[in-house]
Amino acid sequence: MLKGHLDMIVLAALSAAGSAHGYAVIEEIKRRSGGAFDLPEGTIYPALHRLEQAGLLSSRWMTADSGRRRRVYTLTKIGNRALAERRAVWKQFSDAIGGLLGANRPRENPA
Amino acid sequence: MIQDSGIIQGYLDVLARELDFDRSLSRCVRQEIEDHLWETVEADQSGNMLEAQRRAIANFGDARAIAAEFAVVSLARRSRRAGVAALLMIVSVLVAMKARVIWLAATPWAISDDLRALRAIVAAIDRYAFWTSVIVGLASWAYIRSRRIPAAFYPAYRRQLRRFSLLCGATAAALGVSVISDAVLTAFRLRAAELSADSVVAMLSVAIEIVCVGILVFQIRAVALRAASTAALLKA
Repeated sequence: MLKGHLDMIVLAALSAAGSAHGYAVIEEIKRRSGGAFDLPEGTIYPALHRLEQAGLLSSRWMTADSGRRRRVYTLTKIGNRALAERRAVWKQFSDAIGGLLGANRPRENPA
Repeated sequence: MIQDSGIIQGYLDVLARELDFDRSLSRCVRQEIEDHLWETVEADQSGNMLEAQRRAIANFGDARAIAAEFAVVSLARRSRRAGVAALLMIVSVLVAMKARVIWLAATPWAISDDLRALRAIVAAIDRYAFWTSVIVGLASWAYIRSRRIPAAFYPAYRRQLRRFSLLCGATAAALGVSVISDAVLTAFRLRAAELSADSVVAMLSVAIEIVCVGILVFQIRAVALRAASTAALLKA
C-alpha cells in the first residue's frame, strides 16, 4: 500500500527539504513520518529517477564535502503542482475514510 | 576505509552489472548509490566498519530487485526517445524529399513519356505512404508521451509497449514505402542522365532518407531489446 503512495511521499519530502540528495530525502521521510515508513532505502532512487523523467523533479551533480559525487534533486514547478493535486486528493480520501470509520460523525438525515 | 570497502564495492558491481544494457544509467546509478551507502556507513555509530557496510546494504535492499526498478525507468526513457525519433525521422525525410524536388526541378532531366503513367502511380503511393507515416508517427509519439512511467513492469505497461511498438512499426513501414517510392521516382528522372555532381546530389538525398528509416528501425529494435532485458531481470 505504501508503495502506491511512494511518489507522493517522495515529492512531499523533497518539498519540505528543498534541494536534497537521495540519502537526505530518505532521512526526511523517516523524520517526518516518525519512522513509520520503513521502506527499503533502495526503492527511493528508482522513484527519484522516474519522477525526474516525468518532469516533476530536476537534478544536478555536485561534489560533497567527502569528495564523492552527489546527485541533488529539486522539485520543479510541475512537481509542485502535482504535489498540490495529490495533497487535495489525499485529503478528500482521508476525510471520506475518516467519516466511514467514525472519526467524523455522519450528518443526520433531517427527514 | 578503502581497505574495507569490499562489501559495498561488491554490491555496486552487481547493481552496475545488472544495468549494463544502459551504460550511462549504470554509471550514474553506481555513483549515486555509492554516495548513499558510504553516507549510511559514516552515520553508523557501531564503530564496526564491516558490520556497518552489511547493515547499509541490508537496509538498501536486493541489488537485482532495485536494478529491475531502474530498468523499467530506462525502458520508459528509451521508448519515449523512440517516439521522438519517429517524428524527427519523418521531418528529415520530408526535408530531403523537398530538397531533391527543388534540385531536380532545376536540372534539364525529364521523365520519358512511356514512364509518365507509372510515375503518377508511384507518386500517389509515395504521397499516401508519407502522410500515413505522419499520422501514425504523431499518434505513436502522443501515445507514449501520455502514458505514465510505471513503478514496475506491470502487464498493463507491457500492453502499452506492445501497442507503441506496433504504431512505431507501422510508421517505419509507411515511411519505408515512401522512401522506396522516392527512390523509384528519382531513378525515373536519372534514367537518361549521366553520372554527374547533380545526379549524385539526388542520389545522396535518397540515401539520407534510407538512413532515416534505418535509424527509426534501430530505435524500435532498441526498445524491444530493452524490454527483453527488463523482463529477463525480473525473472532472475
